Amino acid sequence: MTIDRRSFLKTSALIGGAATLGCYRSGGAPLDSDGVSASAAVPQRAEQSLRVLVLGGTGFIGPNQVQYALDRGHKVTLFNRGKTNTALFPRVPRIIGDRSMPDGHKGLMKGEWDVVIDNPTSNPKWVRDAGVALKGRTKHYMFVSTISVFSDNSKPVDENGPLNTPTDIDAPYNAQAYGSNKVRSEMEAKAQFGENVTIVRPGLIVGAGDLSDRFSYWPVRIEKGGEILAPMPDDPVQYVDAKDLGEWMIRLAENRTMGTFNATGPKTPTNIGEMLYGIKSVLTSDAKFIWTPHEFLTANQVRGWSELPVWVPPAGRTAGFSRVDCSKAYAAGLTFRPLADTAKDTLDWYHKRPAAEQEKLRAGLAPEKEKTVIAAWKAKQGAGA
Amino acid sequence: MTVAPLRLLILGGTGFIGPHQVQYALDRGHKVTLFNRGQTNPKLFPGVEKLIGDRNKPDGYAALKGRTWDAVIDNPTQVPRWVREAGAALAGSTSRYVFVSTLSTFRNRREIGITEDGPLHEPAPSDAVPSGAAYQAAYPGAPVSTYGPLKVRSEMDARASFGEKALIVRPGLIVGPGDLTDRFSYWPVRIEQGGEVLAPGSPHDYVGFIDARDLTEWMIRLCEQGASGTYNAVGPKHGMTTAEMLYGIKAVTPGNARFTWVDTDFVLERKLRPYAELPVWMPNRGDSAGWARMNITKAVTAGLTFRPLAETARATLAYYHAQPAERQASLRSGLSPEKERETLAAWHAKAR
Repeated sequence: MTIDRRSFLKTSALIGGAATLGCYRSGGAPLDSDGVSASAAVPQRAEQSLRVLVLGGTGFIGPNQVQYALDRGHKVTLFNRGKTNTALFPRVPRIIGDRSMPDGHKGLMKGEWDVVIDNPTSNPKWVRDAGVALKGRTKHYMFVSTISVFSDNSKPVDENGPLNTPTDIDAPYNAQAYGSNKVRSEMEAKAQFGENVTIVRPGLIVGAGDLSDRFSYWPVRIEKGGEILAPMPDDPVQYVDAKDLGEWMIRLAENRTMGTFNATGPKTPTNIGEMLYGIKSVLTSDAKFIWTPHEFLTANQVRGWSELPVWVPPAGRTAGFSRVDCSKAYAAGLTFRPLADTAKDTLDWYHKRPAAEQEKLRAGLAPEKEKTVIAAWKAKQGAGA
Repeated sequence: MTVAPLRLLILGGTGFIGPHQVQYALDRGHKVTLFNRGQTNPKLFPGVEKLIGDRNKPDGYAALKGRTWDAVIDNPTQVPRWVREAGAALAGSTSRYVFVSTLSTFRNRREIGITEDGPLHEPAPSDAVPSGAAYQAAYPGAPVSTYGPLKVRSEMDARASFGEKALIVRPGLIVGPGDLTDRFSYWPVRIEQGGEVLAPGSPHDYVGFIDARDLTEWMIRLCEQGASGTYNAVGPKHGMTTAEMLYGIKAVTPGNARFTWVDTDFVLERKLRPYAELPVWMPNRGDSAGWARMNITKAVTAGLTFRPLAETARATLAYYHAQPAERQASLRSGLSPEKERETLAAWHAKAR
């Protein structure tokens, strides 16, 4: 089974224009008239204004970093191709460059930064090129890696868990080798920036703006209602809201916190039962979960992660996947907003997407297959009774 | 939406559910008058007409003389005598009388899916009053009865006085902002505190309650529709388990709670009181097997709707945090921290 944060991501996918612009503001949001969402406090200004360069910054987690950094009083510049969500942050200066092109990092060869946040990079060469271009002109380099760097998901790991074999940086880029590319990228980040590196390894990133639908499937499915195929309620899950992740990264920059951090949650271990009922709590839905053991799901060719998103079978090769130790990140200030906020934000964002995207989620179980498997489960229960 | 404005008289109106009714009625453009002693929350709704009267006093209804109403809503009444007196004072001057009864009118809740026609308690004697010094003082020598039978008698008297004009609503556990009993509030407050939380019974046990706002807003709409008859009024609409309730509440908190389910046998062995120490929950067996599985089809068909649980939980927490510190420190329902710790320790010891 491939656990690949980007396997569903299409970097060029559309986020529909103005409707989306509001969803990144975490601070200063008024209390939603629905009464479900909390009123978010306006973030306090940071003590010192940083010069922040965000590579990318217009995809999923980037806009959350940018908005929070602006709210905290930092001076933000974006570096990207100028192709994704170009209407975002019209007042933020933008350096144009395409990192996949020769000379693509040229735009980075001027300017001085307190921190550079590298969001979109899976190709280790980009890290090297960024390092060369930024040499001596940033005090801090922050790299978004992934928990897919770990080679063994059969038991819980902390930051020192065994890693995948790094790819060869000079070999042709192979996007399929996601985890291995990220391992090499982490190594290259340290080689380029020495001690002044923060490596953040998120697990599944969720919330408004997620184009992979790997969390969104659940709120959307629950809103539709009826009988919903689910794994056993006690099976562990981990995820991190893009806002919590993005905001924490800015605070890491403010505090000049270096090092490597596994970054998923929530802090108190949770399970799919809590997650699904937590999502349901923001809706008045007639959804009824049909809880089924992973052995049955596997026998019926229901795949964790892609068809039953967020979850993987809590056994065998993936027994430790949803139990990654992130205590280092929690000690360094990673916090978690209430699940109801994540669920509500996700739904509100989903409903503003173009109809064609709403109809075709990129993750989750097909309705017909769900019906078939639920029928098989009931038949099995009937036969066993 | 536009509805024809009604002249509404609300008896009480300043306690828990009353203010939600009043606010919604005002928002809907109705003309509201309150009738009460002027003692509870007298500063509420300064722009609303208030008539003063004490229903425990002779001639307590004098202020209502000579007025007419489209609907009268009787919130605070536990004394059948009050219903009869309201009948005498108002039967000729209102087109509708809405009586707030209770699901406690049912003899038991053993069956699943009890409808409005399920078996009720024997009615209390006509002159009975609840226990409590104030009632004894007001009605010396009156027989004392309990909540359910008193409400059964009151329903009968409401129908006798108002006939087709009587609308009787039987709520289950009413929850949400303004609740003074903390019988739901305990859970959001406790779960927000985090740590190991004792969860009663099985995660699959059913629980039932109704947000005060869902109840009262629906009551105003029933008045607008000219409804009459008797309605069970409890939620949630689709049936809710303890797991769904507790996990759903957790979703509005920072999420530091962990639940330990302590089964019904153990809870009863330890003499923990369902509903009081373990709020909302009743054992899903015996006389309360169907406690949280009432038939509410009639109410839903008549327009009863339900807010998402997250909204109820969040509003309850906001209300709680707005209370004075000493009120926050002394919840009126739920387990004390010590008792919760002791029970969990005993449960874990037993499991070992």
